[in-house]
Amino acid sequence: MKERNTTSTLKRILVNCSSQAKEYGGCVAKKVPEVERDMCLKEFLALKNCMQNVCLTSVFCYIKNFSMSANASSSQLTVGLSGSGGLSHAYVQYPPLKCNLPGSRGLYYDDANKLLLSPTSDQVFSWKTVPFSPHVAATADYINEGPVLSIRYSLDAKSIAVHRSNQEIQFFQRETRETFTHMCKSESESILGFFWTDCPVCDLVVVKTSGLDLLTVSFTSKSVNLVETKKLSVNWYVYTHGSRLVLLASGMQCKTLTGFQLSSVGIVRLPRFEMVMAKSDANSKPVLAAEDVFIITVYGRIYCLQIDRVAMQLHSYRFYRDAVVQQGSLPMFSSKISVSVVDNVLLVHQVDARVSILYDIFEDSRAPISAPLPLLLRGLPQSHTGRPVNVGESLDRNSSNHELMFYGDDWTFLVPDLICDVASKSVWKIHLDLEVISSSSSEVPSNLEFLQRRKLEASKTKQLCLAITRAFILERRPVTMVAKAIDVLVSSYSHSVKTCSNLKETKVDEASASVGTNASNSSRSAKDESRVGVGDKSFNLSASDSDDQSREIDSRDLQKSGKENLLGAESSRGEVQSSSLHTQQLGLGNNQLNANNSERQDSQLTSPAISPDEMYSCVFVPVGEEIVGDPSYLVAIIVEFLRSTNSEKIKVRPNIYVFTIQLLVRYERFAELSLLIINKVLEPSKEVAMQLLESGHQNPQMRKLALDMLRQLSLHHDYVTLLVQDGCYLEALRYARKHKVTSVRPSLFLEAALASKDSQHLAAVLRFFSDFIAGFRNTPEYQDYFRILNEMNTGLAV
Amino acid sequence: MGLASVNTASEGMQLCIFDLRRGQQEGQELDKILFFFPADLPFATQLSVIGLSEGLITFTRIFSPDAACEVIEAERHSHVFYEAESDIWMVMVVDKSKESKAACQVDALRKVLKEVHSLFVLFHGTMRSMLEKETSGGLIRSHLYPFITDYLSGCGDLNLTCNFWADFLIGRKLQLPSFHDCLMERGTVQMLTVGREAAIEVQSLVKVLECSAGTTSCYSLVLFQDLLVSTTLSPDDTISLFTYAVLRLTPHALSSGATSWSYLQRTNAGSQVPALSTITNSGSVSDNIYRSRDASLDQENNCQVKRPLHHNRWFRGNDGFLASDIWGTDNGSQTSVTPIVYLQLTEERMYLCAYQHKSLTIILLVPVSSILNGEQGLSLVKQQVLENASLKMLMVEEKLSKGWGGENAYHVSGYRYLLVDDERVSRASPPAKVMTLAKESLLALSKLREEVNLEKKRAKCSSSEVNCDKELEICVRAKNGAWVIARTSRGKELYMVLEKASETLLYAADSVEKFSNRYCSGVFSLD
Repeated sequence: MKERNTTSTLKRILVNCSSQAKEYGGCVAKKVPEVERDMCLKEFLALKNCMQNVCLTSVFCYIKNFSMSANASSSQLTVGLSGSGGLSHAYVQYPPLKCNLPGSRGLYYDDANKLLLSPTSDQVFSWKTVPFSPHVAATADYINEGPVLSIRYSLDAKSIAVHRSNQEIQFFQRETRETFTHMCKSESESILGFFWTDCPVCDLVVVKTSGLDLLTVSFTSKSVNLVETKKLSVNWYVYTHGSRLVLLASGMQCKTLTGFQLSSVGIVRLPRFEMVMAKSDANSKPVLAAEDVFIITVYGRIYCLQIDRVAMQLHSYRFYRDAVVQQGSLPMFSSKISVSVVDNVLLVHQVDARVSILYDIFEDSRAPISAPLPLLLRGLPQSHTGRPVNVGESLDRNSSNHELMFYGDDWTFLVPDLICDVASKSVWKIHLDLEVISSSSSEVPSNLEFLQRRKLEASKTKQLCLAITRAFILERRPVTMVAKAIDVLVSSYSHSVKTCSNLKETKVDEASASVGTNASNSSRSAKDESRVGVGDKSFNLSASDSDDQSREIDSRDLQKSGKENLLGAESSRGEVQSSSLHTQQLGLGNNQLNANNSERQDSQLTSPAISPDEMYSCVFVPVGEEIVGDPSYLVAIIVEFLRSTNSEKIKVRPNIYVFTIQLLVRYERFAELSLLIINKVLEPSKEVAMQLLESGHQNPQMRKLALDMLRQLSLHHDYVTLLVQDGCYLEALRYARKHKVTSVRPSLFLEAALASKDSQHLAAVLRFFSDFIAGFRNTPEYQDYFRILNEMNTGLAV
Repeated sequence: MGLASVNTASEGMQLCIFDLRRGQQEGQELDKILFFFPADLPFATQLSVIGLSEGLITFTRIFSPDAACEVIEAERHSHVFYEAESDIWMVMVVDKSKESKAACQVDALRKVLKEVHSLFVLFHGTMRSMLEKETSGGLIRSHLYPFITDYLSGCGDLNLTCNFWADFLIGRKLQLPSFHDCLMERGTVQMLTVGREAAIEVQSLVKVLECSAGTTSCYSLVLFQDLLVSTTLSPDDTISLFTYAVLRLTPHALSSGATSWSYLQRTNAGSQVPALSTITNSGSVSDNIYRSRDASLDQENNCQVKRPLHHNRWFRGNDGFLASDIWGTDNGSQTSVTPIVYLQLTEERMYLCAYQHKSLTIILLVPVSSILNGEQGLSLVKQQVLENASLKMLMVEEKLSKGWGGENAYHVSGYRYLLVDDERVSRASPPAKVMTLAKESLLALSKLREEVNLEKKRAKCSSSEVNCDKELEICVRAKNGAWVIARTSRGKELYMVLEKASETLLYAADSVEKFSNRYCSGVFSLD
């Protein structure tokens, strides 16, 4: 029955959308070996649009169709790419972290400490997920027997709290194994959950149906003290430690949300806001569930994504201190949606369609940065399979060890970038394959922009950027396009230099980021964000605020926090402590990592920004070696590079100027070269002057420019030496006297004067030195030339 | 005819071009003459001038085979010689009796000859190659006459007649250098001083231009107002193209009767000769002479001869590119034909495309060989240039105008100066400021320059193996108490008139020192 139904819809679609389908098919067929991002996007969108219209009423049909088309395209992919090892924009690495223990009673994730927890009857085992390593050993702690709803370690990792029942939370101190229980006071309310916080006023926040309880926990008195209560009827809540934000849902449809940010600088209550929910018909009132709301932290900004099942859209909201602004919607192609954030890239997993779509929501564009592709498994031992595993394929071909069903029902997506397979008790970390993402993009400047924003694998990303730029130039793309790409790199560098110096003030922050782990990133960004909420001094963020502005705000924000530190404000001092604590922990982890893996040394880089020096040595020089024939194209690009650095006020080392001179001289473009020198496009320096001198053999004009440059730079010694070399010893003498250059040997002048066979000049030079240099008369040089002079004069007399 | 000779005699100038390889047989002497001004002079007179010149050249060559005579100073005339191409000589005879011309430097006159020649070569190729192409000499004659006439007659009244002979003889005032021009240097380019940022923008524009033209072997010249901003041409080509651009293409040149700050358009107040009444009756005479001589060629040539220096024939098209009907119009598209110029060094033929936006003039030279289907291919290139570079051109224009200090940008108060670098680049006080100088000062400077030129030449001859240029410093006090100063140092020359400087030489030297440190990065600071 169902079958028939779908075929009929299919038929309808084919009848109605035949032209679009044909176009899309034709387009794909044309390009099949090379799969690109947004390949045939226009045609696909047209087809999709048409399909949507056809099965407007039937959501099911739509999804079905989409997953069908996704399947189709992915099967094409496997056909097209099986040789190249399979491509996907995101992947998980084999082996996973196995949390399989006998007697385990489920897996819990503590996102504040990044711990995976698995309680057994009287113990709880924890695995660190940051840094992610499949071989990390579990640590065990003792807890009492009893039901477990959730477990969280305190932020200082000294105690454990276990959510036992609707009424009860039990606390354990790890060292002393002391324990006590906290009970709900009234029977009418029940505990929904809890989390630890680094908020200055409290340690623990308990979310109850009647609101929030802010508590301090004291093991000495074995009690919790209530600090504050926020009364509110709560149906469910969402919290991520990364954002320090808790969203409380209330109302019939659960679509009225109230947010609190409990950060190290205090508590901010966000304005209450309503989620947008489309209605399928007038009477239906869809209820929003906790699974339908995600809090994500991207580029230090906090967003909330909300599933609207009726409209099949993923609405996004951005949180500001005093406003919640709806930002636009992403399409949904599956009834089950999950999101991850990897390196500030948003991954929307369309679970039913078995694909993930990547978004970079740095700018306002809601366009995906890649075509919908499934996650890929990498690093599977050869015996398992020779080729990459794709959609829904069971890995379990040879071994029945573990069954991994991609996008299966057992998959739980953990914040921000982990996947927990509950059935096999394994945890995977999602990685981005930047190489694939960038190779699928034909727009090099925007691609570089995207790459420059990636922080996770900075050195790898940097190499990728360099390779892309090199290839771009070698392909001899239009100068204007290359100029755009260079602008991107240079402005990214200048941005990183600026923020770097700012972060030095705020000390450790950058260091913690340099660990290059997601934890540090998200914690830092959370701090950034929390600073947005600091106090009245902070800015008014209007609803219309554009992304550029907010980027500025980020950096201003950092500066501000630097100032605050200088002022020594209480709150910020507290923050400093906490963050340095944080770094210590992370630093430890990092050391361990280094012990494991020495090549990580490179990835100490904080950002993939490329300095002018690296541009020179990794782009211009290699390209210069490869490019054959006329260098004017490369010179054009170097000029664009100089323009870019000049507008960003970045200093360029002379080696790039020297390189340019070599290029131009090799092809005898002296007219251009002298213009570049005269106008100081190639800034004067000793290196430049010396290079010009070298080319002066071919063109006397260059030698002149070099001499002028030396004089302007007040490199007296070189200037005088060169003048003497040119035979202008008298002028050299005058110059030497004026600038008191004594480092040039007198014999040089005397030889030059002798060479001119002018006894008067020789006498003059001799006289000059006997006046100019004390004790010159006693040197053998003086004697020699005095004798020569006498001989010359007697010769004349005779 | 008599009237005509009086007319030309009053100009006090004769100019001839002749080829020593031609007309060696007796009775064929006329064949030597490629050009003679005034054209209506009897052939006997023409031949006698040329005969004398030839005799002198042959004679002096005995002593100096490489550089034959440069100038003869007779009682009433100066003969200035210039060997434009091997065995092709240009000789200018200047009447000394006229007081205004008396102080005219020989060197400046020779530079005029040089400039005429280089411009001619720019548009027509070398004279020798033209003579080889058409041995009778009719072709080159028919080109030289209008060309030199157009050159010598400054921009005057509107020229409505097509017959150039008529133009020629309606008594146009000839533009010859006089002592008033001693604070400028013909045959050099004037550069615009730009900051680093603007320079980078300009370079970036130049590169985009080159790349958008599709071939790497094209060249460009960028001018702002009448000043050079950037060039990728060889120095010699730069100078001739720059000269042409300033004469005919820049915004000033396009709007004739423009302000007078550019020296090339400046009406010469000193040699203001009352316009002579139109005497055209002699036109037919010379006309007939040449008609009869080149009868066979005349019909075709008269229409074919292009006059690149013809006045007021360039205009700005709608697309921003400059167009001219000098080279006719394309039959198919009714667009005007793009001129072709010759590069001196490589003898490559290039299309000359000029684009203008406000004060910015961009000359793009595209190799003829790289464009397959003539005007059509060229219009494609132009379109591409507009697409790729128009935004950049707007930006560069804006940047340059922002930094531009106006006509008197390079005026230094209290100084009247001329700076020459390597005989290629010069900068001078604005002409309007030079005009304020007293005649005595200018005459003194003119003399001084002559002196320096002599000195330079001597230095060149005596010490040719040493590449160190002669250093020179001369300070002269003119009759009116002005200091007239010349300094040369390492290929750079500085001429200066200080009228308000006080009595002492020390003070004058001090002023020069200050100027040198401030504006020439201390090049002329001797101590």
